[in-house]
Amino acid sequence: MAWIDFLDLVQSLMDGVMFGATYALIGIGFTLIFGVMHKINLSYAAASVGAAYLSLLIVSVAPTPLVYLLAAVCGGLLGALIYFVCFKFLPLNQALATLMSTVGMLLVLEEAIVHATAGMPQNYPALFADKVFNLGPFIVRGDLLFVFGLGCAVMVGLKFMLEKTRLGLATRAVAQQPIAAQICGMSVDQTNASTFVIAGLLGGTAGAMTGAAIGVLSPLLTLPLTVKGLVVTVIGGLGSIPGAILAGLIVGGAESLFQFVRGVSERDIYVMLMLFVFLVFRPNGLFAAPGGRD
Amino acid sequence: MDFYIGLLQVIGVHTLLGLSAWCILHTGQVSLAQGGFFAIGAYTAGMLTAMAGWSLGPSLFIAALIASLIAIAIGFPALRVKGLMLVVATTAFAEIVRLVFFNLKWQVQTPNGPIGPDGGLGFGGIRYFPANAWSGLEILTLIWCLVAGVMSVLWLLDRSRIGTLWRAVGEDEVAAQSAGINLTAAKVSAFGIGGAIAGLAGGIFSHNTTHIEHGNFTILLATFAIAYPIIGGLKSLLGTLIAVIFIQGFLIEGLRFLGDWRSLLFGAMILAIMLIRPTGLLSAPLRLPLFNSKKNAPIGNAKTGAHHA
Repeated sequence: MAWIDFLDLVQSLMDGVMFGATYALIGIGFTLIFGVMHKINLSYAAASVGAAYLSLLIVSVAPTPLVYLLAAVCGGLLGALIYFVCFKFLPLNQALATLMSTVGMLLVLEEAIVHATAGMPQNYPALFADKVFNLGPFIVRGDLLFVFGLGCAVMVGLKFMLEKTRLGLATRAVAQQPIAAQICGMSVDQTNASTFVIAGLLGGTAGAMTGAAIGVLSPLLTLPLTVKGLVVTVIGGLGSIPGAILAGLIVGGAESLFQFVRGVSERDIYVMLMLFVFLVFRPNGLFAAPGGRD
Repeated sequence: MDFYIGLLQVIGVHTLLGLSAWCILHTGQVSLAQGGFFAIGAYTAGMLTAMAGWSLGPSLFIAALIASLIAIAIGFPALRVKGLMLVVATTAFAEIVRLVFFNLKWQVQTPNGPIGPDGGLGFGGIRYFPANAWSGLEILTLIWCLVAGVMSVLWLLDRSRIGTLWRAVGEDEVAAQSAGINLTAAKVSAFGIGGAIAGLAGGIFSHNTTHIEHGNFTILLATFAIAYPIIGGLKSLLGTLIAVIFIQGFLIEGLRFLGDWRSLLFGAMILAIMLIRPTGLLSAPLRLPLFNSKKNAPIGNAKTGAHHA
């Protein structure tokens, strides 16, 4: 391989890892909800994209950082909505019921997006899009770097929230032992709801980051994001937040690398095969979740 | 008239797809790989009739066989993982199958020009039915004979030892295992039979539409496949049929007069059904969701919930 090819390879790997921050956030959202409720919320990625779409409402009047903030807030609201519509009133021992209700929600959200925008992709504002940093022979795109930084900041915030606040304590307690948590006076219902809001905040940020990194939002983003988010969750280990972060960066980097080597149409085959390799050699993921309910 | 024949054909094919998912759901596993098996059956049967010049019967048989073998091969590693992991693993498998067909280019020269899968353009010219002058009604009869055949086989299976084993594994794996049931055999046989039915459905589908492409076999198709038995209720086979008629006949075709709003209502209707009848249309007596939500607090049932996704 020529030196120039090698440089391109490293370059695409770097870009991929930075974009992987969005996958990491989506993966954390899935993992958080799985951690406290032992359920998958299949509509999560759709809600994240939906939140980014909602933030487009103020794009013409507000500065870009406010648009991102609104995306996060809308994500939180959608998270609460999903909890009340798809989980609150369903019998939780019927695992299939919540799976199906979130699929219904996914279809509703996707169709609502198509309906509101007539299916046309919408431009999404990016920050620092005109800045380019030179790092030796490599270039770092300013908008991707910002997306990566934002993702890291949100993860640090989440870590702080989970370890230093009462809400985080309750979340971890319910995830580990719901009965004991209830005996100690924590409301399982409220904790579940607030976990959905927190996951929604992350999701909304991830949706905005995806829009900023790609430059457009499209309803076609929802299914691939859902699949990638689930892949990240499984590679990282169910219920493990550090695992989801690392797996998100790995999946982002691998995706970009395979795209460089084998082209865009074959890229996802190899990402999925990578998942199978993980399932065979590390079925519990990179970091298994701390012992709890099971 | 043609419209109704076409609709009934679609309902028949989707019933087969739903029944394939029913087998696997019956053992308590959620598989999103049905769309992948369906695609394998569709491409195999189409290639055998259009490219190799086989007749329909053997092609469908081989399609079902290959889909079944691949399903068994997928079923073994599936035993390593449960619940959400299985959902993701099968999703990944279905995506791999779709992307392989997206990239597959293999054409043979025939008197009517090159025929075969052409990558992203899809696989057209599977003209067995038109070439042999089958009428819509004859195709319809064939499809529903197959549906009736598969349903009666599954009905018999459900009443045999195998059905009992599947249900025991689906209800509680640990209890089933301690009663001496071979979990591997139960799960892999469910995967194999489900895969064969999905392959059969795919073979019929490709001949009926004459043109297939990777976009037909997305995760959405697999989601529909598991949606039919879940919405219909796992207790009976008829539930799956009723759910297919409800979704394909009423929600997709019957609500066409609503125009754009139809697709919005579609997801909302699925949501509403799960809220009103969480165990499916044909199952326990009607319950109203608001009254006994307290009874269903996650506490006591945390264990059973964690077994599945």
